[in-house]
Amino acid sequence: MKKTDTLMGRLGLGIASLCLAGAMTAGFAVAAPGIPHDFDSKGEKIFNRYNETPLPAMTGTDGKRTLNTFYELRQYPGSPPRIPHKIPTSFSGEIFECISCHGRGGYVAELDAYAPVTPHPENEACFQCHVPRLTEKLFVENDWQSIEPPVIGRPQLGGSPPPIPHSLQLREDCIACHTGNGAVAEIRVEHGSRGNCRQCHVPMVATKPVKEFTRPSK
Amino acid sequence: MPILSYIAGPREGKKQELLEELNRLNYCEAFPADNVDILILVTDTPDKETEEALQKRLKHMKNMESLSMTFGYNDELYEGERNDSEA
Amino acid sequence: MTVKLDRRSFIKSAAATSAVATAASLFPGISFADWKKQTGSNGMITWKKAPCRFCGTGCGVLVGVSGDRAVAVKGDPKCSVNKGLCCVKGYHSVQALYGKDRLTRAQVRKNGKMVEVPVSEALDLIAAKMKETIKKHGKDSVAIYGSGQWTIPDGYVASKLFKGCIGTNNVEANARLCMASAVTGFLTSFGLDEPMGCYEDIENANVFVTWGNNMAEMHPVLFSRMLAARKRKKDVILIDFATRTTRTSQAADKSILFRPQTDLAVANAICHEIIRNNWVNWDFVNKHVSFHKGKTNIGYGLEDHFAFKDKAENMTFEEYKEFLREYTPEKVEKISGVPAKDIRYLASLYGDPKKKVTSFWCMGMNQHTRGTWINNLVYNIHLLVGKISTPGNSPFSLTGQPSACGTVREVGTLTHKLPHGVVMKEEARKMAAEIWDVPVSNIDPKPTYHTVEMFRALDRGDIRFMWIQVTNPMVTMPKLKRYRNGALKEDRFIVVSDVYPTPTTDVADVILPAAMWVEQEGMFGNSERRTQHFEQIVPPPGEAMSDTWQIIEVARRLGFEKQFPWGKDEYIGKIWEEYRRFHASPKHNMAPYEVLKKRSGVQWPFVNGRETRWRYNAKYDPAVSNGEEFHFYGKKDNRAWIWARPYEPAAESPDQEYNFWLNTGRVIEHWHTGSMTRRVPILHNAVPSSYVEINPEDAAELGVVNGEMVKIISRRGEIVMPASINGRGVPPRGMVFVPFFDEKYLINEVTLDAFCPISKQPDYKKCAVRLEKA
Repeated sequence: MKKTDTLMGRLGLGIASLCLAGAMTAGFAVAAPGIPHDFDSKGEKIFNRYNETPLPAMTGTDGKRTLNTFYELRQYPGSPPRIPHKIPTSFSGEIFECISCHGRGGYVAELDAYAPVTPHPENEACFQCHVPRLTEKLFVENDWQSIEPPVIGRPQLGGSPPPIPHSLQLREDCIACHTGNGAVAEIRVEHGSRGNCRQCHVPMVATKPVKEFTRPSK
Repeated sequence: MPILSYIAGPREGKKQELLEELNRLNYCEAFPADNVDILILVTDTPDKETEEALQKRLKHMKNMESLSMTFGYNDELYEGERNDSEA
Repeated sequence: MTVKLDRRSFIKSAAATSAVATAASLFPGISFADWKKQTGSNGMITWKKAPCRFCGTGCGVLVGVSGDRAVAVKGDPKCSVNKGLCCVKGYHSVQALYGKDRLTRAQVRKNGKMVEVPVSEALDLIAAKMKETIKKHGKDSVAIYGSGQWTIPDGYVASKLFKGCIGTNNVEANARLCMASAVTGFLTSFGLDEPMGCYEDIENANVFVTWGNNMAEMHPVLFSRMLAARKRKKDVILIDFATRTTRTSQAADKSILFRPQTDLAVANAICHEIIRNNWVNWDFVNKHVSFHKGKTNIGYGLEDHFAFKDKAENMTFEEYKEFLREYTPEKVEKISGVPAKDIRYLASLYGDPKKKVTSFWCMGMNQHTRGTWINNLVYNIHLLVGKISTPGNSPFSLTGQPSACGTVREVGTLTHKLPHGVVMKEEARKMAAEIWDVPVSNIDPKPTYHTVEMFRALDRGDIRFMWIQVTNPMVTMPKLKRYRNGALKEDRFIVVSDVYPTPTTDVADVILPAAMWVEQEGMFGNSERRTQHFEQIVPPPGEAMSDTWQIIEVARRLGFEKQFPWGKDEYIGKIWEEYRRFHASPKHNMAPYEVLKKRSGVQWPFVNGRETRWRYNAKYDPAVSNGEEFHFYGKKDNRAWIWARPYEPAAESPDQEYNFWLNTGRVIEHWHTGSMTRRVPILHNAVPSSYVEINPEDAAELGVVNGEMVKIISRRGEIVMPASINGRGVPPRGMVFVPFFDEKYLINEVTLDAFCPISKQPDYKKCAVRLEKA
């Protein structure tokens, strides 16, 4: 199961994937003067990604990533995943080196897998949050316990669009994680081609209590 | 007052027996899959003691091969959290 | 107790759903015939077609029914409007039927307290009170105030009872607050109401301009259709032309902001540039267009008994061109804040003969003290370049309610209207009298009150009895306090038919529990002239009955059995066939009942079994009779009218003391006053309360951070609510925006009741306020 994994191999692939998918580098051309463009949980990202990602890149699936492998890399639901593959010791952590694969996804021959796409490519210091694991040995054992990850696919009605179970912070770009070959199998959607995700899916964060409407008392 | 759901796997050939047995238990509702030998079990207990007793009971059912939880809901937890719910 | 049980059974079904979902991921192809057993049904779902209950898009939905309960929704793939897709409101719409405080019994105010009574007793009381009021104060002292959510039969019987039988024109509907300017815009420009185009324009256009219209949230299904077309075709651009930055701006290729009210100036500047560059389609203009001007300085309707009548004068093209001289891009940049180059850019998009342009608008243009004018001005642009009535070339006025078009505009539930024509015209009265089987003298030739004036009349005491159906004016009336106090005055009798308690039922003397949506048979009519039938799919709760049937019951108690003879199992079909007689002509023919029942909506004019996609175009419209490519047969001169309409300022603009614009509107999750959507758990959880959007720099100056309370003060009133900074939308500096769905934060305490003098539609988008940190 040993996989050789060199940066060069992945870089080559990353360039190939440039052709596959449009870029996330397209600026926020629409912001009007004096209006910040990060409002509405950076909603602009979904529209840009939708416009720039070709349909084939949204529809493929390799099924290699699963929720199990997804949570294995995280300490709790929502924590930054560690880097599961080798990176050269000289790796500087510059954005281009990560983003060449994780900006747009695409097949990585060295790993025989599709690279997952980051939902927040604008944060360029990847190493600030994502680190590799060089040893499995712990310094001291830790009594850490996490909570169950949110149960997926819990629509309010049979067949209705499930709510978004996680917070949108740093996870604003639905299309990045929920479509394409690199997507986690269980949370991949079949209809990425519809684009305006929050037309049907609204946040109902699993770790927040459910609110019931009552009329205000006078 | 938790509500829990499980996937229950019966011992070979005991699907119907297990289904009937589970549906006879208080606080339990079970229904079978048509084409796979598993049952879905939903439990709804009024308090902690009952819940614990029920779980013990479920663990020792002889027609049950496996039981895995898929959903958990606990009222008490929600009541406690409700105060800070106004965003 | 039952509440608790319902909630637990809901969680239990979620638990079972979760287990089934997990099992399905473990064992592909697994099936559970017994799944629904625990809710007491057989697990089978039958799917029945209906139009969505919410906005004017008119999505076709399939309602899943198990036993006698609606349990699921999916988009109807057969419906050409939405092709199987809905929005989050539509998908969860059936949950709005099951709110725990659903009104199921009639209530009557006795000694100041609401008491449950049998519904027949409440109906007796309503009829007696109407008789008494008419006897004491005359027929014009009773009124009915309905809604663009009335089904077509609801509105039809209301008009028949009040206008035909009682003989008062006191019939209005909340669509006055949302569509009136669109209607007067159509009538003044084309002589006939409702869009010439249809939603298929979306697949055919190259350029979309959204005029003050946040489609991403308000018409999300059409918006996704537009995004999909842009993605597929690559030569499509979307320009968002608005006063505030929204989700629509985020998706647009370009967002252009203008100062409130100055859309008038920009539209004229676009025409100025089209003419200056000679992008005019002369062939089209010479054959099909005539030029006109009306009165100017027309006022704002702020005073009681305000009256205005426009007077059209012909003008030549040269005179029109002279009128536009004031509107050079540079001059208009000063008024509007839109850079001259952006104005030129917009003009070049409309002017490019190779591009097909569709303009969309909704409340931004309609809720405007010059709403009729701005509708005219956008038609001017399309007419000058001949981009109209052909696939993809479409000035498209969208609606906000499921049957604002079907019921209010087509049935004519407005004071001056009849199902065909206006009360002022003798032929229209004769036609109505004949179909309604009433003496023609019954129908009063003089209109009475439009909505704002009707509530003023209630306050003054000219109106003593008002029946309010399917709407919530005690949230939606501008300058709310006056009208709430008016409704609460001694000797006013208010009947409210609704499905949930609201601030409007709070002021009622009688509450009638109403059947909601698919708990009754009915029809809606959407924005693209599509009539959509739905059958009764689930039974209404308790003693709730359809609004139509409530009116029939009262009409019979008033002695009009002859005009309301139908039985309970046939009345909708009979009413439809009677109503259809009003529209029997190639210009407006409606589909027969049997056809409506079969299809997922049918567009009128429905002539010889065919729907009309594009009106006024010989290729598509059987009413075209002039032998030309186009025929604007609505006007006597058989032409579409271009109007010289100047820029005039808003009724109230920010000044030293009140230095902010207040803009109000909606969010995708909630529909209008939220009386339905707030009772849908997922929607309430997504947006549990309203807020005031403030520009981040203004917020910093005010010293307010996200979520802190802000006091909004106008000359009418004040309100304290949480700030939203960089939330759903961002207003420019000097403007705040408040969604109006939340009865806890009644923003209309603050708004102004100024209206368009022609359409009488209030302007909810502009008044002056100041802010304080609360």
